[in-house]
Amino acid sequence: MSQLCEDMELLEGFLTETTELLEKMDDDLVTLEKSPDNMELLNSIFRSIHTVKGASSFLGFELLVKITHKTEDVLNRLRKGEFQVTAEIMDVILEAVDLIKLLVNDIRNGEIVERDLDYVIDKLQPYISGNFAEATVLTQPPQDTSTAAAPVAEEASPPAGETAAAAVEPVTRPEPVSSTPTPPPAAAKPAPSKPAAGRTEELADNTTVRIDVKRLDDLMNQVGEIVLERNRILQMNVDYQTRENMVNFGDEFGKLAKRIDFVTSELQMQVLKIRMIPVEKVFKKFPRIVRNLSRDLGKEVELEIIGEETELDRSVVDEIGDPLIHLIRNALDHGLEQPEERVAAGKSRTGKVVLSATHEGNQIIISIKDDGRGIDPEKLARKAIDKGLVTEDQVAGMSQKEILDLIFLPGFSTKEKATDLSGRGVGMDVVRTNIRKLNGIIELRSEVGAGSEIILKLPLTLAIIQSLLVEVEHEVYSIPLAAVLETLKVDNSSFHYIGGQEVLKLRESVLPLMRLQRVFGVTERSEKSSQSYIVVIGVAEKRIGLIVTRLLGQQEVAIKSLGKYLAKAPGIAGSTIMGDGRVALIIDPAGVIEMDDSGGMGSWAA
Amino acid sequence: MATASNFKKDETKAELIQLVSFNLEREEYGVYVLKVREIIRMSNVTRVPNTPYYVEGVINLRGKVIPIISLRKKFALPEAETDKQTRIIVMDVDGELMGFIVDAVSEVIRISSAEIQPPPAAVNGGLDQEYLSGVINRADRLLVLLDLERVFSKAERDSLMSSAA
Repeated sequence: MSQLCEDMELLEGFLTETTELLEKMDDDLVTLEKSPDNMELLNSIFRSIHTVKGASSFLGFELLVKITHKTEDVLNRLRKGEFQVTAEIMDVILEAVDLIKLLVNDIRNGEIVERDLDYVIDKLQPYISGNFAEATVLTQPPQDTSTAAAPVAEEASPPAGETAAAAVEPVTRPEPVSSTPTPPPAAAKPAPSKPAAGRTEELADNTTVRIDVKRLDDLMNQVGEIVLERNRILQMNVDYQTRENMVNFGDEFGKLAKRIDFVTSELQMQVLKIRMIPVEKVFKKFPRIVRNLSRDLGKEVELEIIGEETELDRSVVDEIGDPLIHLIRNALDHGLEQPEERVAAGKSRTGKVVLSATHEGNQIIISIKDDGRGIDPEKLARKAIDKGLVTEDQVAGMSQKEILDLIFLPGFSTKEKATDLSGRGVGMDVVRTNIRKLNGIIELRSEVGAGSEIILKLPLTLAIIQSLLVEVEHEVYSIPLAAVLETLKVDNSSFHYIGGQEVLKLRESVLPLMRLQRVFGVTERSEKSSQSYIVVIGVAEKRIGLIVTRLLGQQEVAIKSLGKYLAKAPGIAGSTIMGDGRVALIIDPAGVIEMDDSGGMGSWAA
Repeated sequence: MATASNFKKDETKAELIQLVSFNLEREEYGVYVLKVREIIRMSNVTRVPNTPYYVEGVINLRGKVIPIISLRKKFALPEAETDKQTRIIVMDVDGELMGFIVDAVSEVIRISSAEIQPPPAAVNGGLDQEYLSGVINRADRLLVLLDLERVFSKAERDSLMSSAA
């Protein structure tokens, strides 16, 4: 069995492929339920599960073989038109797919756990046992769950028409199957125990990348160009040292600098693109989640997904999954009404949730919009007061928007009755924390009776960012542009003080201000001028104005970590190296706003 | 107790070790050469706000950003102007590069490990015992052997890694 596991590459390949297939299958199954006559889709699902079965049999994962085999049988019968696709069958199949995922996860974690498959198999059984000859074999599945003892459990009977793929399986049924040069190596082997210890972590989902060959070729081309330019530099250096060909040196050097600038930015784009994956990776889980939720909640929901091909950085994709699940749950649970209620309100029975993703400059905008009951600011404010999160007086002074933002407070939950789906009062707080971590902005729009929309604005990547360089008393800091909303130059006389907090009246709202030199302890050297520059930054739903000495301009910077000893310096997200070789610190907008919060004031101003 | 016989016996199995010696105020110190990655001249240090007093800031070491510690501040010595002699010793501390500012680097010396004596208990008052790994007493000079991996006490390391606020 060890030789099985020695081939980690094989195992990794299996895990990657299986995970992909299973993810796609979820989506496909939900689609199939809506269009039961789509034979093509059904066939594709069948092929996927068959592939998983074949591969797991080859690698000797017997529990997997057992369950995939049963699922495949049910699908096969569906395919032959012996049943109609119904919600009940789908429930069972989806449950089986969940179990398969669980088993695959066990393998990924390197721990084969003896799991009880019978509860699912028993549910599948009624759909399998019927009249067909091959089904009779399957009516007596070995009851012992100790797979270690059982050589590949049931006499696997690959359905007709799939004989080629069946080659890797031990075949005992009478039907002639072309014997294969591959002996069934996995068949007789006991379930592998642990894949080499220590590798478990690396097997996590997103550690391997599949890259479009074309992108790789493009990258190679860019590297080729860089090499050319390097040769050119070397040549010019020789010329310079020997004082030959010096006539056009200045011009040539200028051209070279431009070309290098061009090639490196192209190269940077290429590498970024390679790190990009479509947001579909996250989105494709949702049809399934929405289906289950709507069944549980007794609501009729239509989910529309727009722009799933929008690409963003892997690191961002990894982080937005959980917040999106929360938001979708909220939309279904709190947002949409029961069908009767909808009809009474003059809406269609079926509620609609739109999940969309688009690019906007260097940001990606993800929106979750429902046409439900919307959020009633008065109810929301009342709730917040009841919970002791705010006082009546505070609410009285708040704008509509500020009241809506109360929903992001920790410990807030508006639904009278917390369901097990949502409503424990952690949801929005978690969302906010996650979005903040990504330097994103979150906005909430809502209209009573018409629905609500939550908009997430996220940076495309976390490795290289656009930033605004500012000077604070002769020290240069870089502020991620994604968090910068606007910059202002204002007269110091327009500052106001509210309870010791400096604020600025900006259009309709009151903006709390923060002097960077104070929080960062910079010695004040320059003399006071009557005007100040203010950089308005926003994180999640919060806004704050940073007072700086000068604005230096916009620049694309590569983020460098400060190392483990300084990584946690408050208000600092990292550092970057400037053109002159100096290090400039990158401000962590979320951290800065928090520092302000801990100062006691300003936590309310939005 | 290094009696004559003891000393001799030790020497037979003592290994030769190399130290980088440097100066701080008027004292001479040494660190194991194997821990030293490079020695560079003073460069532009960017201050990092809200960090402990002895963290001078960060520098750019060929594309890598590394923290810089002022040993003068750490050892509570009076501050001194940066001059031509001032150096940054870049060391490997727990797998991370870190720079230490010293007054001057003098030489690499070879000593026998037997020459290292435990630090006298009296030193306790001035320096933290933790990173003082021994003293080397040669005819005309006294060298204090530092273990800069422990220049931060455990508490300091924890506070650094879990934010200095």
